[in-house]
Amino acid sequence: MNGDSVARLKWGAALVLGLALSACAPASGPAAADPRAALIGGWQDFRLAEYDLATKAFSSALAGAAQGSDERIQALFGLANVWNLRRPGEDPDRARGYYQQVLQEAPGHDLAAWSDLALVRMQHVVPVGQEPDIKAVRAGYQRIIGTYPGHLASKEATIYLNASLIATLDPALTWQAVSNLTAFIGSGTREFRAPAWSLLAVSYQSLKKPRERLEAEIKAFENVEIDPANPFNEFAWAYWNIATIAEFEVGDFDLARGYYRRLIEEYPADVRVFPSKEALLRMDRVEAELRAGREASP
Amino acid sequence: MIGRVLAFLRSYFAMLVVAGTFLWSAGAIVKYRAAQYPSDAIILRLGHWQLEASVREAIDEMAAEYRRTVNPKVYLVQDAIPEGTYGQWVSTQLMGGTAPDILQVGSMLPGNIWLSYYQRYFVPLGRYVERPNPHNDGTVHAGVPLRKTYKDGMKTAYVDEMQEYMSIPLAQFGSRVFYNKDLLKKLTGLDTPPDEYRAFLKVCEQIRAQKGDDGKFYVPIAGSGYHFGMMGGLMWEPLTFRAIEKADFNRDGSVGNDEQFVAFRTGRLDFDFLPYRARFKMIEELTRHFQSGYTGLTRDEAVFLFAQQKAVFMATGTWDARSLQEQAKGQFEVGVMRYPFPAPDDPFYGPVAPARPREQVGSGFQFGITRTSAHPEIALDFLLFLASRIGNEQLNRIIGWIPAIQDTETDPLLRAFEPNIVGIFGAMNFTLGGETVIKWGQLHALYQVGQITYDQFAKEYKPFYLERGLMDYREQSRDWRRGMHRNELFLAGIRARALFSEGAESNTEWIRYRALTANRQVWAELDRSRQLKLMEQGLEKDAVGPYEYKPEVLAAVKARILAAKETP
Repeated sequence: MNGDSVARLKWGAALVLGLALSACAPASGPAAADPRAALIGGWQDFRLAEYDLATKAFSSALAGAAQGSDERIQALFGLANVWNLRRPGEDPDRARGYYQQVLQEAPGHDLAAWSDLALVRMQHVVPVGQEPDIKAVRAGYQRIIGTYPGHLASKEATIYLNASLIATLDPALTWQAVSNLTAFIGSGTREFRAPAWSLLAVSYQSLKKPRERLEAEIKAFENVEIDPANPFNEFAWAYWNIATIAEFEVGDFDLARGYYRRLIEEYPADVRVFPSKEALLRMDRVEAELRAGREASP
Repeated sequence: MIGRVLAFLRSYFAMLVVAGTFLWSAGAIVKYRAAQYPSDAIILRLGHWQLEASVREAIDEMAAEYRRTVNPKVYLVQDAIPEGTYGQWVSTQLMGGTAPDILQVGSMLPGNIWLSYYQRYFVPLGRYVERPNPHNDGTVHAGVPLRKTYKDGMKTAYVDEMQEYMSIPLAQFGSRVFYNKDLLKKLTGLDTPPDEYRAFLKVCEQIRAQKGDDGKFYVPIAGSGYHFGMMGGLMWEPLTFRAIEKADFNRDGSVGNDEQFVAFRTGRLDFDFLPYRARFKMIEELTRHFQSGYTGLTRDEAVFLFAQQKAVFMATGTWDARSLQEQAKGQFEVGVMRYPFPAPDDPFYGPVAPARPREQVGSGFQFGITRTSAHPEIALDFLLFLASRIGNEQLNRIIGWIPAIQDTETDPLLRAFEPNIVGIFGAMNFTLGGETVIKWGQLHALYQVGQITYDQFAKEYKPFYLERGLMDYREQSRDWRRGMHRNELFLAGIRARALFSEGAESNTEWIRYRALTANRQVWAELDRSRQLKLMEQGLEKDAVGPYEYKPEVLAAVKARILAAKETP
């Protein structure tokens, strides 16, 4: 190989290396000068599970945001979420730090309530193999309910708190949940009203109060919030649930018939249509046997 | 001068040859394409895995129709890629930024990979599904939102994790029994086979008793591992339907693996239960008519047997209908029938078969639009053309599939695929995970090939299931909190979208956040503690069956009847 060939090879190698390095160069993050765009980009990256990019975008927003500005709080909240929820590579301590920073710098900001709730959720939704300190978790939810009255985060905390009480299957704690949820519904809130009624229904089931359970299930159905674009929204399950409780736990066959029929008419392709038709025949038969003074066969 | 040229050529000869070849190839392609398409043509590329001749032909014909009736500038180039390599091909095309404008999606890669591709590389279609399809003007679907023109409400296109519509489905699929009409006539004298189970078995006996020209006995049903599962879903699994009455303790209309275990542990269910016995008996009776060694055969081997006219029946789906017809052309006529099923008055199966099985029908053959498309709006318009009432009917008529759009005509061959949407369904769930699933698979395989009887199966499996079941269940559900964490992550993204939205959109986004929070994060802990209680403690002493009346409930009904009698 002569000197020219070596020189040509060197130039070629340098060119290839240059091209390779340029291809490997990280994409430039959003400009620090536009924190709003960086925040939007950060959340987009977060949803795409591009956590490094999301961290970079939120950091860039933080660097570009003025002290005390809304953008700064948003950026801190974004960073907290990434370090809290990313897998792998999570850093709970760093996440807690950012959430705390939001609470310290802007206790009156909308995101303060969400940060506070996230701190409690970190205690509640623990890694596999660990058990949460449920007393501390419940105290945390209770604190949020007291600190941010009327805020959506507070309403969400109410639902989590009472679900955890009902999950014990302990009658005393379940009664406590009934009291809390009744008060929550009585406050006139619209948000999370349907899950509150559903939790009441589950409580009454545990407490063996079928009539109250049935009423709560109907209220839950009447108050359900629907995402209009979701094609999987349907009431077939709710109809079936109410109908079977009415038939087998309360003995209100007329109410049961109404809901079985609604299921058959409104959801003709639902899996429970055939069992609903059988249920209508079964109730007719049972009533006929009882009318004739006979024992109803199962 | 010449010397310097020669020296240059000598030094760079290899590079010059490569460059020259490249330029020649590029020139040839440009010249070829230029001759194919006008200079102002808009070229859409469409990638899919349907290698059936009728699919390619149908897409080409529909593209020509679109050019003729909608946009004369649009030309379509198909990239038909074999199933085995489609996943890799899609991945390299998407990552390299060279993907076609339109791509078939939803299969050939794991669901989580598609999810990440949808997020990165595809155009969300949510904003279009609530608008009418412009190609439906002048039809019954004029002014109707796109998703409401679909037979299944466009559920297949909705990606729950993104809360978005990401594709346009174009066909529906179902499965049936195909048969060789000529061979059936020759061997049994019948023009059409019976779809009553007992009569069908008799026909199978008649077929397997006869030999072909090669001296070998005919096979009544061409089977394989693939076909076994397909037939089971619409033949023997639904026979277990009555187990719901015994074990659906939470009355959700199905038997969960925890409920199945508790029902066995408390003695409410056993392998003596007639529906279970019936399931296994039907497997034994039917698979006797498959070719020997079917469990180790593939789908293609069964199709081969059918195409060679050595078997009379074969279960398969609409996706194979046209290609089976093509293979049989000039040799025999293909017929389609419902799966045979016992009559309600059948002396053995009747009590467990109160109705025909219910069929779940969904859409498929779905296409997404890539973000790198140079003409996304034209790609969308072309897909909407294919999803219009007339377009979808025409496309599926050429392919030989079932249209996905309502009020469309189906090919006469496929009318037998009209689904039975009201009926019974399977209710047997032994999938607790771990060792119990492995044991089930091992013993079931032995039963399928006739090495053990049902009673031997039951005797060996039951004690193992009862001993290992709780342990397997605990192991399987150990990571339930991992699911909660995933939801937490998902909801953080949804909430951020709500926080950044304004006006009416903000309202919708917050409703979505609340609905998803309520559905996903409230019940996990509650369900788990109730399931564990059921698994560990069993049923309460005075518990009646989930679909039985307690004495006090019957008393309430009786009191109401008496009160009604007394009321004048």
